[in-house]
Amino acid sequence: MIPGKYRSVSGRAANNVNCGLHLVIQTSSLPEKSKVEFKLNKETPSFSGRLLQHDLERNYSSRQGDHIHLASSSMPSFPILQRSSEEKILYSDRLTLERQKLTVCPIIDGEEHLRLLNFQHNFITRIQNISNLQRLIFLDLYDNQIEEISGLSTLRSLRVLLLGKNRIKQISNLENLKSLDVLDLHGNQITKIENVSHLCDLRVLNLARNLLSHVDNLNGLDSLTELNLRHNQITFVRDVDNLPCLQRLFLSFNNISTFESVCCLADSSSLSDITFDGNPIAQESWYKHTILQNMMQLRQLDMKRVTEEERRMASVVAKKEEEKKRESHKQSLLKEKKRLTINNVARKWDLQQHRIPNIAPNQDRKVSDSSQDPSQLHGSTVSAFPEETGSLDSGLANALQGLSVTDTHLVEVDGDTLSLYGSGALESLDRNWSVQTAGMVTTVSFTFIEFDEIVQVLPKLKIKFPNSLHLKFKETNLVMLQQFNALAQLRRVDQLTIDPQGNPVVNFTLWKYYVLFRLSHFSMQKINGTEVTQNDMIMAERLFGILAHVASSELPQYRMISILGDARKKQFRYLLETKGKKPGLVNEENNDSKRLVGENTNRAMLNYTTRDVYNERLEEIKEKKKFCKMYMEDLVKEATEINMKNEALQKLWPQMFIELVRDAVIEIRNKNSYMKLCLQQITDQK
Amino acid sequence: MLSPERLALPDYEYLAQRHVLTYMEDAVCQLLENKEDISQYGVARFFTEYFNSVCQGTHILFREFSFIQATPHNRASFLRAFWKCFRTVGKNGDLLTMREYHCLLQLLCPDFPLELTQKAARIVLMDDAMDCLMSFSDFLFAFQIQFYYSEFLESVAAIYQDLLAGKNPNTVIVPTSSSGQHRQRPPLGEASVLEGVEASLFSQCLENLCDRHKYSCPPPALVKEVLSNVQRLTFYGFLVALSKHHGINQALGALPDKGDLMHDPAMDEELERL
Repeated sequence: MIPGKYRSVSGRAANNVNCGLHLVIQTSSLPEKSKVEFKLNKETPSFSGRLLQHDLERNYSSRQGDHIHLASSSMPSFPILQRSSEEKILYSDRLTLERQKLTVCPIIDGEEHLRLLNFQHNFITRIQNISNLQRLIFLDLYDNQIEEISGLSTLRSLRVLLLGKNRIKQISNLENLKSLDVLDLHGNQITKIENVSHLCDLRVLNLARNLLSHVDNLNGLDSLTELNLRHNQITFVRDVDNLPCLQRLFLSFNNISTFESVCCLADSSSLSDITFDGNPIAQESWYKHTILQNMMQLRQLDMKRVTEEERRMASVVAKKEEEKKRESHKQSLLKEKKRLTINNVARKWDLQQHRIPNIAPNQDRKVSDSSQDPSQLHGSTVSAFPEETGSLDSGLANALQGLSVTDTHLVEVDGDTLSLYGSGALESLDRNWSVQTAGMVTTVSFTFIEFDEIVQVLPKLKIKFPNSLHLKFKETNLVMLQQFNALAQLRRVDQLTIDPQGNPVVNFTLWKYYVLFRLSHFSMQKINGTEVTQNDMIMAERLFGILAHVASSELPQYRMISILGDARKKQFRYLLETKGKKPGLVNEENNDSKRLVGENTNRAMLNYTTRDVYNERLEEIKEKKKFCKMYMEDLVKEATEINMKNEALQKLWPQMFIELVRDAVIEIRNKNSYMKLCLQQITDQK
Repeated sequence: MLSPERLALPDYEYLAQRHVLTYMEDAVCQLLENKEDISQYGVARFFTEYFNSVCQGTHILFREFSFIQATPHNRASFLRAFWKCFRTVGKNGDLLTMREYHCLLQLLCPDFPLELTQKAARIVLMDDAMDCLMSFSDFLFAFQIQFYYSEFLESVAAIYQDLLAGKNPNTVIVPTSSSGQHRQRPPLGEASVLEGVEASLFSQCLENLCDRHKYSCPPPALVKEVLSNVQRLTFYGFLVALSKHHGINQALGALPDKGDLMHDPAMDEELERL
């Protein structure tokens, strides 16, 4: 009759769990018919197993009822319970009334020593008529229809209160039950944890299968060792760190999705056993190691032992994540700074492009605005990004970050792309670039820089970044097809991207063909992302081939040489000289230059001088022109004088001729005197 | 060669008319600039090459605009060069904007002014929607008129404005027995309603203009022909008519006829070879 050693049963793995109930009910030899086993109705994972036991119990319990007489009392609603004195002596401290189809609590007379009262599996709606049982330690009202906790205020000795599977909506009226050890409220409709702060002896609290949406208000439960919250709707958990003894916390089948919502668990040093299965959080990839990392004290997670290996893994993963977060934070900082700088550069560029020259006060304002903004920006982006000097070696395999960030320009190397924003960035090409960095760069992107300025640094680019194959231009003021001629001096270009923004040249129908024609020796693969087809090349040749032919064949030689410039002069002369030689004799060294020259000569005439340089040259020539003019004028003057003289001579010649003849004839008329005259002349000569 | 008119001119004028001095000056200038290279193969050869290229019309390639504009021969050579180099563009059938044509011009002459191209485009587009696309032949012929006769056209524009405003610049010179005299000039109010000016009046003014400016104007007979076909015309209408007139084109001698514009067998051969 007296049940076996009272032990809490909570599943397979609970062997070492002892809720330490002091209520020990001794076993003694039981007559078969009244053998009853009392078990604590705790919600366990093997609940179906429990049910089975209940079914077994049913066979026993019915016999207990034989000894009970329920006489009707004077009050029509409450039956009065009376036991035979024999029973009273035998089971003086316990009374079982399970499955008695009770709808109300009967009045229990003369049982003031009762310590254990069992009303399981009835239809009781209110707890009543037990106020006199002041020695009650164990009260079981499992599986009834109780809607409110009440009528317990006199049971100051109560240690175990089982109210599972009822209809209780609120935890209340437990004020006097200060000795409560076990409180089972599973399977009710409780929405909030409240009115339990005074239960400082409570060790086990079962609130499974209720309607809790969050957990707080747990202060005061200084002895709580086990808290069962399975099968609720909990989204966050708080105050658990206020429970100094809590060892086991069951949160299976709730609605927890982030660790932040249960972060207080990390501060609880007593927790050793926790379950989260059935929560959204358990599906996350980071679930296990986040829990383990934050709760180093844990021994079991989801009913499985936490091994050292797992713990180690967790900390490793957590460290990696920390680093990643730090890295991404740094990246985002850098990105922000980059963005601000680019905005600044863009603004400066716009001002440059659309400057209104006449409106002086507006301009002043604009200038002052733009001078204010950089200082503001400078103030806001105060981060320690000093100018990098010297070479830029880095051990990291992945992207190097912004190297030089000031307010007026930005230079950035990102793996294989070198990006330059603002004309000041062009100076960075002078820097000492490490061979490794420079060698990796295959794409160079120019933004907010005048194309004419870029042209001047192309030779430097050729030397410093020999592997750059892809050029990108955006907002660089490309307006003429001619400007593409300047790109011919590079070693090789595989891809060209001209962004329509800020480059009006893209609006021309023929620009791509011109590029293909002029830079045909590069055999470009892609222009603006589209592949270059054979047809494109043919079309380009067809459209502009004649231009090249004219440029190379119809120019007089001295013009060709002067256009080609000094560097090519030698090549060109060499080519002229070797024209006669047999092709086989050309040696290796000159192959390269010969190939270049051979392919380019007819295009090479088409080059580009920036507007400023061109005007400079014209200025220089002015002097010469003036001199030439004067020189020619002198020549003309001379020529006209001579011409005049010639004409005059022509006019006068007939007359002069006649006079000459007449003079001669007159002289010779008298032969003798003429002879004498001649002799005289000869002797005079001596 | 030894025509009496030629010998009748005094020296400077003769030289000026033939622009001999321009070429001589330019030659000497080029010589100075390329001293080192030319000294290698001799001055005589240089001059030969230079004047050969002048005759062939290749001397204007990649030269500055001031030189190209300097003489009618230069201008004609430039037109011809432009046609030769970019005929293929026209043949391809592409319609380009004014800016793109200007770009092509700049390929041959880096500092070619935009205003000239704009004026040429206005002729084609009748001063309307300047961003429209133009065909190669339209543009080329309009450009020819605009570029070759730019000074003449300016004067014509001035005359046109005067006529529009009601002022007749020729009130002093109008002959009494002119055939166009019987046509009364409409009162001022009406003139502003009707478009353009009277063709005959316009024609007279232009004749006088041509007499004054002996050089660089279209053959007066042809101008008269253009104007005799209509009663009234606008400025741009007149220019369009000029540009499309075969006779004027031929008189210029720079470009082939419209029908033959796309044909250039010599260059096509070269193209095949490339």
